Amino acid sequence: MDLNALTQAVGDLDETAVVEILEAFVAGNPTGEEAYGVVNACQQGMAIVGELFEKSEYFVGDLIFAGELLNQAIDILKPVISGDKSKKIGAIILGTVKGDLHDIGKNIFASMVDAAGFEVYDLGIDVPPGDFVEKVKEIKPQIVGMSGVLTLALDSMKATVDALTEAGLRNDIKIIIGGNPVTEDACTQIGADAFTTNAAAGVKQCQGWVS
Amino acid sequence: MTDMLALSQERTQLFHDLIDGKIPKKVPISGSFAHEFAIQYAGKDLTEAQWDTDGLEPIFEKTCQDFYSDLLPVSAFRLPSFYKILGSRNFVMGSSGFIQHPEVEGLALEDYDAFIASPFDCIVERVLPKLYSKLDTDSTQKSMVMAKAFKAYTDEMGNLGRIYGNLIQKFGYGFVNFYSGFCEAPFDIISDQLRGFKNISIDVRRVPDKVEAAAEAATPLMIKMGTPPNPSPYNATFIPLHMAPYLRGKDFERLYWPSFKKTVEGLKANGMRSFLFVENDWMRYIDYLAELPEGTIMLFEYGDPKLVKEKLGKKHIISGFYPVSLLKTGTKQQCIDKAKELIDVLAPGGGYYFGFDKVIITLDSANVENTKAVLDYVAENANY
Repeated sequence: MDLNALTQAVGDLDETAVVEILEAFVAGNPTGEEAYGVVNACQQGMAIVGELFEKSEYFVGDLIFAGELLNQAIDILKPVISGDKSKKIGAIILGTVKGDLHDIGKNIFASMVDAAGFEVYDLGIDVPPGDFVEKVKEIKPQIVGMSGVLTLALDSMKATVDALTEAGLRNDIKIIIGGNPVTEDACTQIGADAFTTNAAAGVKQCQGWVS
Repeated sequence: MTDMLALSQERTQLFHDLIDGKIPKKVPISGSFAHEFAIQYAGKDLTEAQWDTDGLEPIFEKTCQDFYSDLLPVSAFRLPSFYKILGSRNFVMGSSGFIQHPEVEGLALEDYDAFIASPFDCIVERVLPKLYSKLDTDSTQKSMVMAKAFKAYTDEMGNLGRIYGNLIQKFGYGFVNFYSGFCEAPFDIISDQLRGFKNISIDVRRVPDKVEAAAEAATPLMIKMGTPPNPSPYNATFIPLHMAPYLRGKDFERLYWPSFKKTVEGLKANGMRSFLFVENDWMRYIDYLAELPEGTIMLFEYGDPKLVKEKLGKKHIISGFYPVSLLKTGTKQQCIDKAKELIDVLAPGGGYYFGFDKVIITLDSANVENTKAVLDYVAENANY
């Protein structure tokens, strides 16, 4: 099969073409090895989506659709993927911070870092600092990502960083914050390592940290 | 005539001039704080105080006393009493007590056709029971719950109306009201309350014809909702815009804009101007905004103030752009400098009033001293 055509179809968000290519592939009884090549091609398509988003050719709605398309692709491929043998490049813990219930941005970021090869642990919404601390102790991830839409999320982000510092975990991890209210000043005051209002740029930052 | 009444009239004149296309004596100021902010600022517990609207007057008063504004600066939209009675899923309290709108699906994909055929019936019969768990029951029970919730709603709004009136009198605020009606852009109500952000993003690609027809079908309903009983040229209907910045240009052009423009024009035909909260960054749609009826009020969150002044400044009324995030993180001088910078760009020639880029929703959203300093600076220095 033509892996480049698949990558391009995912990048174009051409659902019909992606589904056709993958269904034909699965019907041919491929090996597990071949299947991983195909998953990889889909992930590269997601990278194209991220680039087009950064160039303002795609917008947030397109990122959401891309996440849906990737899920659909994985569902089609499931019968030919045996066990989870994909190599993870790192672990990341994500959550919308305490007091904030918004999760659309976090979910977009989660699906993009997942597609980029991270093991993602999503703690959900309105997550108290203590829950981040507990999960970091348990998983020992390279990265913690905190999300929020309301301006009040900035205080919760700071409280979470402080809690991680107090628990002696801060130096073992990189922290990225994302969402509508984050700015460079806010990032400094919170004590995070990076901030982004652009999911694709955030993914690149995370990849940079583990490479 | 009392001093406060004279002050009220003076401030009313500022806004009348603004709306009539004349240059007012000074840049009018509309401070905007949510009731949640006012409760926390008064040192009360949000989780308790928002249940008791009878007690909100002295609480709101404290914000009125300490923050300069030419219009009443406090307003309450979402209160827990009626949402609790309804078992609301679309407005839910976070752990700090702040009520928010989580992602919900009120309309199933297969119900688009029912909505397009008869939006109101579909909302009552299919959507409300999904959004409000206590309405998901037999029709007798449902009627009781709905009656109770509406009673709670009208009681709360009655209390708030009385409090607003008292505070306007007491502090000499202007008599114009940019929240005298409320509705959404048709595409936004379908996104926010019916399908959800995620689903609509997928629908736009998979079933664009249905989305287009649904927005069209929702338009008369939005115009009706947004028209208050007594329209006035000096009041406005508030329309918080949401989804456009997240769409591709061609989807916006086909699925968002036509029904939204019809809504604003329909309100205008009914005697109401629209007050748009232009959320996020609309700069790539600025030429569309320029097509809206003259005198439409637009409060911008992000974007380029210079471009907005140039393209819209002569036809529309502009506000916003002042970053609440700076009030949170900046020094007092940085905050004042920002106000000066925006006023220098936006005020010349009129058609502008000072406002933050969003409502200040909670006490921890902004630094209180910076906020006071900025409002005082504008009040004292932005004269024509």
